[in-house]
Formats: sequence, structure tokens, C-alpha cells
Amino acid sequence: MKTTKSLYSYTLVWPALAIYTVFFVVPALIGFYYSFTDWRLDRLEISFVGWDNFKRIFTDDTLILAMKNTFIFAIATVIGKNVLGIALAVALNMKLKSRNFLRAIFYSPSILSVLVISIIFTPLLRTEGAVNGILSAIGLSSLNQAWLTDPSIVIWTIAGVSIWQHTGFQMAIYLAGLQSISKDYYEAATIDGAGSWKSFRYITLPLLLPAININLMLTLIGGLKVFSEVFVLTGGGPGNASQVVGTIILRTFGEGAWGLGTAINTLLFVAVTLISIPLLLFMRRKEVAE
Amino acid sequence: MSYVQKIKLRNTVVEILLILLSLIIILPLLLMIFGSFMNSTEVLRFSLRLPEKWLFSNYLTVYEVGGLGRAFMNGILITGVSSIVNILTSSAASFILARRETKWSSFLYLFFFMGLIAPMSIITTIRIVQWMGFYGSITSVIFIYSALNTAFSVFLYSGFIRSIPRALDEVAFLEGAGTIGIFLRIITPLIIPVNATVAIMVFMSVWNDITIPLYFLTDSSTWTMPLSVYNFYGRYSRDWNLIFADLVMTSIPVLILYIFAQKYIVSGLTAGAVKG
Repeated sequence: MKTTKSLYSYTLVWPALAIYTVFFVVPALIGFYYSFTDWRLDRLEISFVGWDNFKRIFTDDTLILAMKNTFIFAIATVIGKNVLGIALAVALNMKLKSRNFLRAIFYSPSILSVLVISIIFTPLLRTEGAVNGILSAIGLSSLNQAWLTDPSIVIWTIAGVSIWQHTGFQMAIYLAGLQSISKDYYEAATIDGAGSWKSFRYITLPLLLPAININLMLTLIGGLKVFSEVFVLTGGGPGNASQVVGTIILRTFGEGAWGLGTAINTLLFVAVTLISIPLLLFMRRKEVAE
Repeated sequence: MSYVQKIKLRNTVVEILLILLSLIIILPLLLMIFGSFMNSTEVLRFSLRLPEKWLFSNYLTVYEVGGLGRAFMNGILITGVSSIVNILTSSAASFILARRETKWSSFLYLFFFMGLIAPMSIITTIRIVQWMGFYGSITSVIFIYSALNTAFSVFLYSGFIRSIPRALDEVAFLEGAGTIGIFLRIITPLIIPVNATVAIMVFMSVWNDITIPLYFLTDSSTWTMPLSVYNFYGRYSRDWNLIFADLVMTSIPVLILYIFAQKYIVSGLTAGAVKG
């Protein structure tokens, strides 16, 4: 018998490895180097400037605000998409007449482009727009807001639009998870006298853990990488009130401040990795324990 | 009230609540669809009503003014080729990584897996593409999308290929097949459903994306549909009927794909939900 070595030659790994390395890994690696330089559009010579770019990032008010907004967006969407996603999935896993129709409706926005959804919501979120109109019509005019022009709430509004669009995607993953749970557990629990909440807490949640883990990771990583929603809905405005890391990178790119832009990107890389990897390892362990 | 009646009542209440809730999703989408057939003053009310007269001509106007024919072809080319490249390279790589159980292969698997987590470094990617001499071209975007989707595809393929018994490989080997022969004759036919899932996932994410085209497609003749729409939105910000028609047209390809390929999307989601 021939050995595994010759039967499964690494030749077949090379094409994927080459494309992935050249267009993803190498840019990330040279990004670390360029983060410590004054690389600019209008300068031919690049020189090493140490931690200057990073010092600037942490002293510039706009950049600090952009990082804060990115975290707000990430946390708000992680909570919103997952709490609502689980609730919708549990409800749509019941025996309802219209359940296939409702599943399709709730899932449908997530297949569309973020651009499409953001443009639809732009007129709806104006002060005189339909969102305020509907709130007034049902007697909640006290909740009316300048959704996209009030600096103190604009990032929350953008997070809301993202939750509106993508909760259905999280719901679909939770539904797949729920369907893999055997009905026997619930029958046994009912016989033992457990109510709906107890069944949910002690059967559904633990057995849904793999789906919860993947959804938390997907929403967290996606949230930290946010760009398109902000770019289309506000372009970072009003003023700089809704800037996030993604839109700042575009701006520094446009201004030709490439060293600084790369430093911000590197910071995002480090933040995403430092947050996700421990979380991933922790969840893996917990999953096995359960 | 008996237990069965109680459950029935509860389900009815839940169903009514869900139908009300679904209006939050349906209404904005209907507003776009109805608005796309209105005239330019009627649409500015942004209220939900049927158009007084259904103007199908809006779609024709947008198609011509917005240059959508070309953008559609660019989108098909970019999504099509990057899906194919991604399927071929990722499935081949996953086959080897799933079969070899060495330190190297697990390292490579983790190396690919990092791509699911780490954000791409855009400005330096532009630098690399400039060095290679094809910045601004459709080719560069195809390579970038193939690279960005490698992580997810390898993750999906590896899980599936591990469930195919090695005994099948060995039989083929005894009949004289080499690495490529085993891959093409044994593995490829068995992973066709995964190919479909990957193709659809890649197609949807690439078709809808505006970030990469914004940075990498510098010439308007290479733009994809979402980028053309964004540009149109900037120039014709008063003609909301045309903007809505443009949005509908951009969404039609993914909607069609969703309707016909639902089952492959679901199997992709299930892989994520169950394996974690």
C-alpha cells in the first residue's frame, strides 16, 4: 500500500494557497510594516516613523469616535440580531399555518444588497419620513427622532437598519439548529411537568449552543468590519458623528494618507483577532462540556 | 381548557403577532416596488399606495441612463468566474487537508480558517495589485473575491469531505488512479451539492458587495450593478421612481437565485448551525 504522502499530494493545495496568500495574507503582513511608515500618495520616499501613526489614532477625536462607534455598532447588532433571531426561530418552529411564508418574508431582506436596503431607508428615516409618521399614527409621537441627523443617535439608527436586514439570516441558522433537536426531549420534559420557559432554558438553549456560537462569531466579526451601511446611509455624517473604522479607512485612502489608513486597518485586524480567537476557544470548550 | 386547546390558542396568538411583525419587513420593500412604477412627483410622498398609473417605462429609462446592461454583464463575469475559481481551488485543497492528518495539514487548515476572522487590508491589497500591474481591472477583483471566499469554502468542503469514507479512495487507487484521478472520479461527483452551496453563497455575497468595487474598479465601464446604482443614486437624487426601479433591477438576479436554489442555501446554513 502506498503511503498517504504520495496518495494525497500537496500539489492540489497550491492553487488555493497561492491566491489566498497573495491577495489576502501578504497584504495583511506588509500592512504591519506600512503601519509604521509615513507612506503617502504624494511622497516617493517612505520612511519609518515608529509609533507615530498609532499615537495619532489615539489622540485624534474623530478617530477615537470612529472606534467607539464601531464597538457600539458591533455590540448593538450582536445583541439585536441574536436575541430577535432566536425569538423568531423559536416562534417559527411552532406549528403555524403560515410558517413557510413567514420564514421566507423574514429571511428575504438578508439576500439583498446592503446598498439596496440602505437607500430604501434613507427617505423613510427623515424627520418627516414614514418611520416618524407611523410612530405618530400609533400614538407614539414622543418617540419621533431625527434618526439620521441627530449626532447622538445616528449610529444606533444604522445598527437598527442592519438588525432589520440581517436578523432573518441569523434566524435561519437558529432554525436549522432547532430542527436538529429531537422532539423526545420536549416530550420527556412535558411529562416531568416543565413549562415552556423551563423547556427553553434547559433543553433548547444548551442544545442550540453550536448555532449560538456560530451566530455570535458571525455577527461580532461582521459588526466590527461594518462599512457599507454607514457609507450609504450617512457617509459618516452628520459631521463625523457616525464614522466607523471602515469609513475612516476609505477617507484616509482618498486623502492619500496611506500609512495612517493602513495603521487603522492593522488596529482593526488586531482588535478583531484578539476578541474573536479567545471567544472561539472558550466557546469550543463550552460546547464539548455541554 | 385542555392542553391541546391551550397549545392551539397559543399558536394562534403567536401567528397573529408574527404576521403583524412581518409588516415591518414587507412594507418598506413594497414601498420600493410600488414607487418604482410611479411618476417622479407621486413617488416623493413616500407613502404606501398603488401607483396611479403603472409606468413600466421607468425601468427602460434606468436601464439606458444607468448603463445597467454593461453593469449586469460585469457582475455576471465577476461573480461567475470568482465562484468557479473558488470552487475548483478550495475543493481541491480541502480534499488534501481533510485526508492528510499531519501537523502541516492542520496548520494549513487553521491558516485558511484565519481568513474567516481577519479583516482584509485594503490599501496594501491595492498596492499588491498595482505591483502586479492590473489595478482597476476586473481580473484583480476576481482574484480578490476568490481569496476572500477561500476560508469559508475550505471550512465547508473539509467538513463534508471528512464524511466520505477513505475506502473509496483506496479502491480507486488500486485500480490505478493518482491523486487527481481520485479527486475527479471519486470526490468531485460526491461534493456536487456542496459545490452548489458554495457557488450560491459566493454569488450572493459578491453580487451584492460594494466595498471591493468601490476601491478596485476605478473605471465606470467595469462597474458592477450595486456600484452603478450607487452612482446613479448620487446623480439622480430627485428621481426616486428611477432610483427604486434601479434597486429592484439590482435585486432581481439574487431573488431568482434564492427562489430556485433555496435548498442549497439551507444546507449551507445547516452545516454552520450543527457543526459550529
